[in-house]
Amino acid sequence: MHESVVTTWMMTAGAWQAKTWAELASDALSQNIWLTVAYIAGGLIGSMTAVTILGLALIYAERKIAGHFQCRLGPMRVGPHGIFQTLADVVKLLMKEDIIPDRADKAMHLLAPFLAMGATMLVIAVIPYSPLLQLVDLNIGVLYVTAISGFGVMGILLGGWSSNNKWSLLGAMRSGAQIISYEVSATLALMVVVLFAGTLSLRGIVESQMDGWWIWRAHGVGIVAFIIYLIASTAEINRTPFDIPEGESELTGGFHTEYSGMRFSFFFLAEFLNMFVVGAMAATLFLGGWMPFHLGGWEGFNNVMGLIPPIVWFYGKVFFIIFVIMWFRWTFPRLRVDQLMRLEWKVLLPIGFVNLLAASVLVLTNLYFFPGN
Amino acid sequence: MAVKVKTLEELLKPPAEAASALSTQEYYVNMGPQHPISHGSLRFVVRLDGETAKEVMPVPGYVHRGIEKMCEHLSYRQMVHLSDRMDYFSALMGNWAVSKTVEHAAGIELNDRIEIIRTIMAELQRVQSHVLWWAVLGMDMGAATAFLYGFREREIIGEIFEETIGARLTMNYIQPGGVMYDIQPGFVAKVKKLISYLRPVIDEYDTLLSGNVILQERLRNVGVLDPKLALSMGCTGPVLRASGVPLDLRKVQPYGAYAKADFNVAVGSKGDSWDRYYVRVQEMRESLRIVEQLLDGIPEGPHMVMKPAVRIKVPEGMFYGQLETSRGILGLTLVSDGKGAGPIRAHFRSPNYNNLWVISALAPGWRVADTIAILSSLDLVIPEIDR
Amino acid sequence: MGAVDFSKVRLEQRTLAGVKIPVAVVPRIKKQSYLEKILIALKGLMKGMRLTFGYLIHPSRIVTQQYPENRATLKFPERYRANLKLIYDENGYHLCGGCKMCEKACPNASIKVLNRKGPVTGKLELDRYIWRMDSCTFCNLCVMACPSDALQMTHQFENAVYDRRLLIYNLNRYAGPPAEAMAKLDEEARKQAMEPRDVYGGPVPLNGEPLPNIPPIVIAGEEKAASETPPSTEGPAA
Repeated sequence: MHESVVTTWMMTAGAWQAKTWAELASDALSQNIWLTVAYIAGGLIGSMTAVTILGLALIYAERKIAGHFQCRLGPMRVGPHGIFQTLADVVKLLMKEDIIPDRADKAMHLLAPFLAMGATMLVIAVIPYSPLLQLVDLNIGVLYVTAISGFGVMGILLGGWSSNNKWSLLGAMRSGAQIISYEVSATLALMVVVLFAGTLSLRGIVESQMDGWWIWRAHGVGIVAFIIYLIASTAEINRTPFDIPEGESELTGGFHTEYSGMRFSFFFLAEFLNMFVVGAMAATLFLGGWMPFHLGGWEGFNNVMGLIPPIVWFYGKVFFIIFVIMWFRWTFPRLRVDQLMRLEWKVLLPIGFVNLLAASVLVLTNLYFFPGN
Repeated sequence: MAVKVKTLEELLKPPAEAASALSTQEYYVNMGPQHPISHGSLRFVVRLDGETAKEVMPVPGYVHRGIEKMCEHLSYRQMVHLSDRMDYFSALMGNWAVSKTVEHAAGIELNDRIEIIRTIMAELQRVQSHVLWWAVLGMDMGAATAFLYGFREREIIGEIFEETIGARLTMNYIQPGGVMYDIQPGFVAKVKKLISYLRPVIDEYDTLLSGNVILQERLRNVGVLDPKLALSMGCTGPVLRASGVPLDLRKVQPYGAYAKADFNVAVGSKGDSWDRYYVRVQEMRESLRIVEQLLDGIPEGPHMVMKPAVRIKVPEGMFYGQLETSRGILGLTLVSDGKGAGPIRAHFRSPNYNNLWVISALAPGWRVADTIAILSSLDLVIPEIDR
Repeated sequence: MGAVDFSKVRLEQRTLAGVKIPVAVVPRIKKQSYLEKILIALKGLMKGMRLTFGYLIHPSRIVTQQYPENRATLKFPERYRANLKLIYDENGYHLCGGCKMCEKACPNASIKVLNRKGPVTGKLELDRYIWRMDSCTFCNLCVMACPSDALQMTHQFENAVYDRRLLIYNLNRYAGPPAEAMAKLDEEARKQAMEPRDVYGGPVPLNGEPLPNIPPIVIAGEEKAASETPPSTEGPAA
């Protein structure tokens, strides 16, 4: 039906290169080992830069959006409309004294922010940004993302524990309990898509949505899974209404109470990048990744949609999800810790299981929309 | 019913050791005086078992400025400006409490115009105070947007004050023997416009917070205050009314122009945080009703019945006056020797001080986050507790 | 239908201390079944989100004032209370006779009126009017107490300085008799009766009592400028 446009993109991609960065690096190994090193270094530097810029952009966006939600303007001073505000803040954080509490576990205290940040960075490597741009494509992509993003909680736990502060410890414990619980629901929701797509590779999942995004195509279970994933992953990244590990009004700052300067900013940046990861995962699994939006039978419309480059599609979807998460934050109050658990174990988990069951029935009976060409 | 309040020494004894290998150790945390919830400088010593608060002990006194002692050295007129600095969210009502007591002691008769202007201003201030409380409650619950929305309305009401009074926070407007300034010519129209603006905004508050399931869950059945306990601990204001006792001096001992207005006293039925929350939201609506009714009937007359520099003569004796601020009954006891320009002893009965202590009865057994919810619903202003 | 019907306030009559009190019993949250609860909860959340979104897409409802960019357009109500000043008549004479009523009215001793024996009139007249902005609470009692309406609260509210001693102002531009007494004097006597005073010209620290070890502050150009031209009536500029 709309093969023309999508396949055009696929073919362009194929004509130039449809290889991931990792494949390019391994290919280069046969020619020259230094080329491989250059590829790896380029990939690392590139992703670091991209992550930093992304973090800055997201923090700026959050502040602006929060401002406008609240009848304010947001940052307006540094640069036109305050666009350099976050940059100025980064400079400020860099120059701040790095305080380590006297009786803290120093090694752990130093390590924790890097763990939190590192976990996020590792996830960013496997996300297919466009047919041309993906660092690594793992055949167990979804499993990898779930596993590694759960690893980020180690940073929070360590940070809270090593600070030797009761508030930090409370925050860290809350965070641990919260992430372990909500990971279950988030994974159950992802499983639905994996069932339909029949692959764990993120690239494979994107390509399986050529005929329609799983959120629509999966016959209702897709949208339920999407909502569950959105709620559960908002909880996983400690955003309001599930920001009890920080719980500003109760725990002063939660797990990062004792952090300052650059180390604090690592936690802060990790939170925003986690938001990007959640957005990217939701976009990849439910909203078709870099696939353009198509309506069956509307050739002209589909062609116009197809003209928009895939990377724009991908980032558009991701930022939409991020916007929704920000929207949550600037509307809702915070849940209490036991209510948080109740929501997971009594509401999300049962619905998630029923949904998964329904999805497997659908898959077995081949009863989903637009059944392949 | 009585609550045993422990002393700090008793509280700070080392917590009980674990009874068995499986049970956990209790520990103390200091909430405040530098803590986002302390709303200024209030300290709580909280004994926690995991997330559950076992004991909450308020330690006030960090903003003590000796206002009562200062009053002994000031004249009756000068005392008024200190009452601004106790409960600064109901500064006008503090002014009024001092003025009312002094007028009662000195036998000053006021005219209707003064009484009505005072009542309108006080009710606008009550709305302003409750709007700000609503905002802060939202913030304490993690809804930062509610905080900003509340402040927006607070500023809009503040502009009305600024125009007539010249100040927004510490107003020093209600003076013994009248009010400092007469109302501006456009005042009535402006307040009418304000009322028609505020009514839908309060409904908006219902949409944003009251109708939000998270907030409902956070407040419902949390910290149930028994009316008997509330009365025995001297609670007043919305805290007491939420427990179902309709004690409101505006009705029980009408002062100012309240007898002229038709309004209901908002009461709760259970006494939990939700009732304390919604009683205040309802009070905003009732206050707007009072203002609306009084606006059209402002009679002509002077705004001061005595010259502003005339020394107020108070006979020898002890005098007491009280009124309903946005947080409860504010009383003032004055002792005069009949000679000086000011009292030889002044004592304020502050509503917040009594409302504060119920936290040690309500919070135990609830989680840390509920302690915050209960505190927020008590609507404490710390400078008035410490004075 | 939400979990709470906000319009449903139950009106009742209750009696307390023999007084009949009309009360409004506030609504409570209804009990709901599991599914109903989820649906109502989602609906309530959506309503809140719609409200905030409404604000997001209506930039006209932004209330932020961009101070100090809007300094030129700032509007002050007539009665706005900020820095105190002495009122001068059209000839540049103040109205203060030095009666010290304001000093007595001030609750925190922020005003100190120092009088002198006038060289021309031979009567007591204002020498220095010292106002301590740093301890002033802007309660307006001095303005109210003044029998000759010589004081006024201005709209000058920007008071940031690097040294708090700069917050102690001398409000009168000249030491000498008020406008009322000036009217009785001829041109020559008027000039003799007046002695210029600048903004920081008072015996600066602590109500006229000099503090040991604190040298008086000399602001470059300030003394000269103050003696040549009277300081701005909008209040002293640092």
